[in-house]
Amino acid sequence: MRDVAIIGVGMIPFGRRDEDSLLDMLAYASLNALDDAGIGKKGVDAVYVANMGAGILQHQTSVASALVDRLGLMPAAADAVENGPASGASAIKNGLLAVASGYYDTVLVAGGEKMREVVGWKATDFVATMTHPEVEYPYGITLPGMAGMFTRLYMAKYGLTHEQLMAVAIKNQKMGTLNPFAHVDMVITKEGIHDSPDAVVNNPVAADPLHFYDMCPVSDGAAAVILCPAEKAKEITKNVPVIIAGFGQATDTHTLQEREDPTDLKAVTLAAEQAFKMAKLTPKDVDVAELHDAFTVLEIAESEHAGFFKKGEGGKAAEKGETGLNGKIPINVSGGLKSRGHPVGATGIAQVVEIVFQLRHALDKKRQVKNAKVGFTLNFGGFGNNVVAFVLRRSE
Amino acid sequence: MKREIEITAFRCKACGRVHYPYHDRCLTCHKRDFESVKPEGDPQLLTYTQIFNLPWGFDVRFLVIGVVEFANGIKAMGQIHVDSLEEIKLGMQLKAGWEPIRVVSGEEVFGLVLRPA
Repeated sequence: MRDVAIIGVGMIPFGRRDEDSLLDMLAYASLNALDDAGIGKKGVDAVYVANMGAGILQHQTSVASALVDRLGLMPAAADAVENGPASGASAIKNGLLAVASGYYDTVLVAGGEKMREVVGWKATDFVATMTHPEVEYPYGITLPGMAGMFTRLYMAKYGLTHEQLMAVAIKNQKMGTLNPFAHVDMVITKEGIHDSPDAVVNNPVAADPLHFYDMCPVSDGAAAVILCPAEKAKEITKNVPVIIAGFGQATDTHTLQEREDPTDLKAVTLAAEQAFKMAKLTPKDVDVAELHDAFTVLEIAESEHAGFFKKGEGGKAAEKGETGLNGKIPINVSGGLKSRGHPVGATGIAQVVEIVFQLRHALDKKRQVKNAKVGFTLNFGGFGNNVVAFVLRRSE
Repeated sequence: MKREIEITAFRCKACGRVHYPYHDRCLTCHKRDFESVKPEGDPQLLTYTQIFNLPWGFDVRFLVIGVVEFANGIKAMGQIHVDSLEEIKLGMQLKAGWEPIRVVSGEEVFGLVLRPA
């Protein structure tokens, strides 16, 4: 197996992009990544496209074939990858294995989703199709609902509090205002979402015990990366190569109810352990992490299950500021899904793009983790039933 | 007329693990022989939520949804019919029925409906 480097990254601002089709967004992000790598006029050997819902939302299939045509990348091999909200990281994993094996040298991995062109109930319904089609979906359960049930158990078992959840929301929305790619550009305060009499209107219950500001927005967006063998990176690009030092992927039961302990996110633990083992690193070596905070509770639970904190300590750490930019382990200083947004097929790639920016030391000092050398990403599919993690390392 | 609860779970004949929904292999021992099991007794509430942003097919203001465990170990999701979350708490016993849970193309879809005992 060859070491694999990320030599180009591209993103477009997430949000509501009525003017752009899904293919427009995938093409813009891909061109940005190709240009960033310095191969904007060249081809690639293969393309992997992460997308969860074009078949449902846009009535369009075969998006990978459509993207290579749009970009004039034929005859590159092209595959679409669907793994729910973890599609992005799964697509990178496929590209990584293709390059590591020696079969391909240059690979484009792009991910995108266009979710805002349908009405809210349709977007909610689309995401809910991830739940079990016979014993969950018919009841009207949604992913926020799954998170609500999980949160209630986490509160009962570990003493997780609303104040701790709010600390995540406030941090991530503040950091999102510093990220030009973020969907949400609005600072929130505890006063506004909890203490004030207006808080019941500003921040109503969405999926009890979770409130509106515990949720990520529904977004349009796309992101892309270019992979190549690490040994060839400096021949191709002037960028500081970022090495994919480790990856892990693990699955768990489809339904939450069949897990022995529904608060135990086993797939998160296993995916993170695999990634750290492959990288020969530990959570203590990580300078900056991007976790899948589709709901505030997930940032806390994932920070524990990935090994950054002991079980039951993640919420306290968030409240004490240990996950802020200058904290013990900066988490989601991009604003996370909470602020950047969550176009489901793009998210896992956007997390990696953010870490590449961090490891290149390319960000504004208000958002740059000083001298960051090792980063971690975690992309959470379903309700924790298919999770992909990466450990990324700045090339010396 | 009260309907029978149309839940069938599957107990592994080798190790005894109860599965709901169906799996082709036991999640514990990977054997493939199962016997059918029906829910027994009043279920206990394991967790719940109240959701306000509903997916397609629900013409109501909110849904209360929970997961319960029957006396013989079958765990299942159901809709909880209460006016307020103050009527329920973790660990309480509920009464289970098989009632309409949504309407699809004008046809009622039946499922597990739970109420405070």
